[in-house]
Amino acid sequence: MARRRDDYAEEEDDVDYEDYDGVDGEDGEADDDYDGSGKTKRKRSRSELIDDYAEEDDDDEEEDEDDEDYGGAAGGGKRRRKAASQFFDDEALVDDDDDELEDDEDREEDFIVDDIRDEDDRRIHRRPLLPREDEREEDVEEIERRIQERYSKSLHVEYDEEATDVEQQALLPSIRDSKLWMVKCAIGREREIAVSLMQKCIDKGSELRIRSAIAIDHLKNYIYIEADKEAHVKQAIKGMRSIYPGRIMLVPIKEMTDVLSAESKSLDISRDTWVRVKIGTYNGDLAKVVDVDNVRQRVTVKVIPRIDLQALANKLEGREVPKKKGFKPPARFMSINEARYSCYKIFLFVSFILTCFPPKVDFFIYLTRDLSIRVETKRDPSSGDSFYKIEGMMFKDGFLYKNFSLKSLRTQNVKPTFDELEKFRQSGETGDGDMSCLSTLVANRKKGHFMKGDRVVVVKGDLQNLRGWVEKVEEDSVHIKPNEKGLPKTLAISDKDLCKYFRTGNHVKVVSGASEGATGMVVSVEGHMVNIVSDTTKELSRVFADNIVESSEITSGVTRIGDYELHDLVLLEDNSFGLIIRVLSDAFQVLKGVPECPEVALVMLRDIKQKIFMKIFATDQYKNTVSVKDVVKILEGPFRGKQGPVEHIYKGVLFIHDRHHLEHTGFICVTSKSCMVVGGSRSNGDRDGNTLISRFAHLRTPSCATQYPMRPPRGGPGPINNFGGRNGGGGRGLVGAAVKIRVGHYKGSKGRVVEVKGSTVRVELESQMKVVTVERSYISDNVNVSTPFRETSRYGMGSETPMPPRTPLHPCMTPLRDSMVSSPV
Amino acid sequence: MFFHIVLERNMQLHPRHFGRDMKDKLVSKLMKDVEGTCSGRHGFIVAITGVESIGKGLIRDGTGFVTFPVKYQCVVFRPFKGEILEAVVTMVNKMGFFAEAGPVQIFVSNHLIPDDMEFQTGDMPNYTTSDGSVRIQKESEVRLKIIGTRVDATEIFCIGTIKDDFLGVISDPGSTS
Repeated sequence: MARRRDDYAEEEDDVDYEDYDGVDGEDGEADDDYDGSGKTKRKRSRSELIDDYAEEDDDDEEEDEDDEDYGGAAGGGKRRRKAASQFFDDEALVDDDDDELEDDEDREEDFIVDDIRDEDDRRIHRRPLLPREDEREEDVEEIERRIQERYSKSLHVEYDEEATDVEQQALLPSIRDSKLWMVKCAIGREREIAVSLMQKCIDKGSELRIRSAIAIDHLKNYIYIEADKEAHVKQAIKGMRSIYPGRIMLVPIKEMTDVLSAESKSLDISRDTWVRVKIGTYNGDLAKVVDVDNVRQRVTVKVIPRIDLQALANKLEGREVPKKKGFKPPARFMSINEARYSCYKIFLFVSFILTCFPPKVDFFIYLTRDLSIRVETKRDPSSGDSFYKIEGMMFKDGFLYKNFSLKSLRTQNVKPTFDELEKFRQSGETGDGDMSCLSTLVANRKKGHFMKGDRVVVVKGDLQNLRGWVEKVEEDSVHIKPNEKGLPKTLAISDKDLCKYFRTGNHVKVVSGASEGATGMVVSVEGHMVNIVSDTTKELSRVFADNIVESSEITSGVTRIGDYELHDLVLLEDNSFGLIIRVLSDAFQVLKGVPECPEVALVMLRDIKQKIFMKIFATDQYKNTVSVKDVVKILEGPFRGKQGPVEHIYKGVLFIHDRHHLEHTGFICVTSKSCMVVGGSRSNGDRDGNTLISRFAHLRTPSCATQYPMRPPRGGPGPINNFGGRNGGGGRGLVGAAVKIRVGHYKGSKGRVVEVKGSTVRVELESQMKVVTVERSYISDNVNVSTPFRETSRYGMGSETPMPPRTPLHPCMTPLRDSMVSSPV
Repeated sequence: MFFHIVLERNMQLHPRHFGRDMKDKLVSKLMKDVEGTCSGRHGFIVAITGVESIGKGLIRDGTGFVTFPVKYQCVVFRPFKGEILEAVVTMVNKMGFFAEAGPVQIFVSNHLIPDDMEFQTGDMPNYTTSDGSVRIQKESEVRLKIIGTRVDATEIFCIGTIKDDFLGVISDPGSTS
């Protein structure tokens, strides 16, 4: 633009030179030309700045001779007059300043002399984007110098201009300025019309008497045109479609500034950003921007399709199927073959029907013809890719490419969840997935998530790949201490360029996101994604690097969710049962009640039917009662030799907690028959002595073994006794068992079973020296209530110690500690 | 790695064991208590090799128990980061496999398994190369490198990798190496 100017700069310069006394002395150029043009430029640049305040850049309209004084406003810092004089030349010259007067005169002079060239000059000045072809005569050097000056001056100029309130007020439009007209136009076409008015201007030049045309984003249906007279407006829009000359309204002066109030910063959407759809079937779905049309304010995005093929086929057949309200087809990648073949399926079905009920011929033809979902292959001219077009919808790679208006997409705060990203990535994307998610991540990142001591790496800029520690965190920048020598102690880097850095083997804790609160160890790092193995569940999970911090904390997780606590015995859905050994955030790790092979299942809260409360008892290998909290030792099976207290008993299965056992947090599941009670019942007697002695006594088992042979003669019925009796029904082989008669004449009596005869049982009553015969159902096992000592004493009497550890030193004596009554029966 | 170190522990003894064989009983109690446990600092105590000294016993008030400070030598096993170990595979799943090297359990995630090995499900899940030449399944022996250890109060858990040179399967299950 400056090129043209220079042609006649000579003349101007001479005139303008003396105007610039108040102006800064930055033009140290020797050359007059440049001085002058510099100043001229400065004038213009300054005015340009002022102009910007009132008008939009893009839509500057060509002005007519009225605007001669546009560039003429000069004088040091006297913008008031400049502003006013910008628009009019026919105003009475205000005699405020000699400078100004001179300016006006100069301008007018210029105007008179160089009418057209001035116009052109200003035109060029106004629209630097449209250079004239014939102006390229200047050398490169001159251009370069000019440009340098221009920008150096303008910097200074900006510095000079401190807007005070008064001066700002002076910039408000007055009655002498051109008016703003509001013109109705077609919806969605506002920008288009403004642009075409601009084009018209370029072509028509000075014929068009309007000054500018403005299209506001948030105001639909109207554009603003700045002109002096309504007739000018009408003439300008004559012949244009989609703008209605009948509806022109004047904007009152007081409201003119409101028209162009500054808006909040809007994020410009660019390709490959993530957005969320706000309306329609795809409401809430994540989508990726493919193409942006700023003029029409529409965006093409790709999204995972939700197509109901059935409904589509129905529609094509002409059948009117009422659309189900609220029915959202699941998001699935579109398979073209499926679309093609679905019609075949329908076809087959129909043809089958037809063979059964042969209809008329023409009906048949109708059906076959219309039963095809047309799949066309279309080429998109802009991108050159080929799409599949079905029913007006475009598909590629399984994605649906859909056009949305900018309004119906949410661009801010789009946090793509990990699953969604994975889905998008699956369909053949390569590393770009990471890049785009990176950019959105960075944009949406919470402020201040860096902490002192974090290890970070620079990911953008010249210092890329530099690693260091965070020293200080500030508003926008982070001070890091780099690892490299030769660099200053701390560097300040914008936090957008940094990323947390972890190495494999680091122990970390997740502080935000889905798996919040989990701790684990880093297995591998891939850009922003980090794979960690959880401490509690030993499972791999992927998290964003932003969400984790290095920590040595090891979480054991919560201990209860809902009704169920750690170490509870629970009944599961499929009627299996197990012990909760770990509680995770939303599920439990349950050790199944299968004694042979320890099996751990991950069970959700809802899969648990109920907690098992039953206080039941079991018998061990030597027919001793085992109850909860008894210490038992495992004699058989893979866990042989392990020992510990019983936590739960259920259905003959014991859950023992051995703290030396490393698996399953120490819990072992065994059948009660393969164990041996160590020490006495926990319900009586002291513990310490027992366990201590039990350990030692382990060494003494051989001695006990010698006593085994003594057992059979004495306790013939002994071994068969089932003292467990936890399931009363099962223990009918109960010769020798202590029972209580609950029905019949002898109700309430206790006794011992002598014989079992079919359905009757002979019981020796305790209270009388009598043996009576009662029905089996009349008796109930009366165990564990009052006879623990009786059992033990029985055995003690036999000098057989089925629990050898209890009597290591006195094999023939009855055990002392665990019985309240020690007298042998 | 294995170490032979001297540790000290305070053992409590019940008065009933006093007498002629008190020291023996103390030693066996020590063995029972300590062997097979794991401490975060020393690692897994594998075996006690000898007792260095047993200090004077101190009677505790009120209970009658006596506390002896015992110094003993033992072999401990502690895995370190960067160490290379041979281990036996115990469980294979799609996230990786678990292997055991003595008392320590090591997890090798599938990210740290060479890319050409893929997980095959089945009743014997395993990782196999595409040409089937190398297979990792239960009871295979592998050589792995430990890249991270996590030490609990009573447990050490490690993460390992076989993605480096000279790491991987040594021998197949059941075969004599």
